[in-house]
Amino acid sequence: MSNRIATIGQYTVLEALRTRLPLLAALSIAVLLGASFFVREIAITESTRLQTSFYAGTVRFAMFMLTALHVIGSIGRDFQDKGLDMALALDLPRSHYVMGKLAGFLAVAAALAFAAGVSLVPLAGWEGTAQWTLSLALELAVVVALSMFCVITFTSLMPAASFVIAFYLLARVITAIRLITANPVAGADTVPHQVMQWLIEGIALIVPPIDQWTRTEWLVDHSGSWTMLAAVAGHAVLFAVVVTAAAVFDLQRRNF
Amino acid sequence: MRTSFALTGQRPVSVVPVFVKAVLSAALLIHIGWQAAAPPPLARAENLGSPPPASALRVATFGDPVGLSAALMLRLQAFDNQPGVSIPYLALDYAVVEAWLAAALGLDPASQYPLMMAAHLYGQVPDQKRQRQMLDFVHRAFLEAPERRWRWLAHAALMAKHRLGDLPLALRYADDISRHAGTAQSWARQMRIFLLEDIGEREAATVLLGGLLASGELSDPAEVRFLSQRLEELKNAEKSSTPSRFR
Repeated sequence: MSNRIATIGQYTVLEALRTRLPLLAALSIAVLLGASFFVREIAITESTRLQTSFYAGTVRFAMFMLTALHVIGSIGRDFQDKGLDMALALDLPRSHYVMGKLAGFLAVAAALAFAAGVSLVPLAGWEGTAQWTLSLALELAVVVALSMFCVITFTSLMPAASFVIAFYLLARVITAIRLITANPVAGADTVPHQVMQWLIEGIALIVPPIDQWTRTEWLVDHSGSWTMLAAVAGHAVLFAVVVTAAAVFDLQRRNF
Repeated sequence: MRTSFALTGQRPVSVVPVFVKAVLSAALLIHIGWQAAAPPPLARAENLGSPPPASALRVATFGDPVGLSAALMLRLQAFDNQPGVSIPYLALDYAVVEAWLAAALGLDPASQYPLMMAAHLYGQVPDQKRQRQMLDFVHRAFLEAPERRWRWLAHAALMAKHRLGDLPLALRYADDISRHAGTAQSWARQMRIFLLEDIGEREAATVLLGGLLASGELSDPAEVRFLSQRLEELKNAEKSSTPSRFR
């Protein structure tokens, strides 16, 4: 079993290397790093802080987009080119396909996180950068699992990508939305507000609070801790397991 | 490793019809020419609108308030700190400026950027009402985090004495530093003494900046450069009796 999963994982990594993903990632990082130096030059004070916060914020989003679109494109291509049909015809369990792909994409996501984080070492020091990079890797792992689930469910790029982007943005604002609904300016006792609050709290039970992960403060204020990171890791693994299980569930029900 | 840089599976450029190449080149040239012929954007003080409400800003951070705070400050700075604009600050509604500074500080309380802008940029206008607004903003911000923000109030005390001629205000600021900022440098906690001494603004600014440089408070090279330039301008302005560049 592990041979099949490892083989699929290996070929997933090979596919990432042979597409334009390394070039695109390197180009994105180079452009954002260059822009951060421009921001540093126009700042009249706290130039390092501004440069770090600009680069960290933008590269985090760039790596999310690269990861999500690569995963969705790769599995979408397997569906369209009937590569998956052929693999399943060779007596490959569907769960092994999902696990193998997941393993490969997780390796790619870790590499992207490392490439993004390495430039931060001179700006933010080793510890803050290590915490931020590990958190980014965990965040991208969640994105990988979610993207796999979406493309298996929707089978085409547009709806899958739209859902992943919307979910990610929601996960990054859910805490702010909960705070706003919990403390309205007026109308706290009205029925519509109560319904809205229950709905948002219900959504918050499903959506992981990604806005609490990979925080720029860990880099500029060195306010992160390894305990906090362990909690992030636990939550990320749990959510990835849930979503991957859902992906396997969906793939098992699909007729080819 | 075989990469996708090899152009296998693609036809050469020569197979593209001339018409297509001509339309592409012409359209691109016209587009570039159109952009080049458009007048450059001008910074107009009246374009500065109020910042979004705090709740909207909280959502717009996408969990990264430090980044958004930096973006807000750079946006505000770009409106004012441009060459060719003769009177950028006096035309501004300082209530709006203060709202932007407060919004950025609220998102990233550890940042000194909004206070630097309040004290050293917007507080330099030759308008007492606007100067008082900025000094008041700095004072309120100081009271929220005195250990972190004392040096801005020290500068505000200096400005209160030498620019506003308001010694009681300057002494109030100096007393607040000594009362609330226990970790401030000793020269800052003893500001009352040299405020009461009959020394000019240049000498006082020299003491302030010299003290900051000697203490190692200023670690950012951009800030050292900026404040050194300010001191030079102050010295040159005193020698030539012309107003400062920051109007």
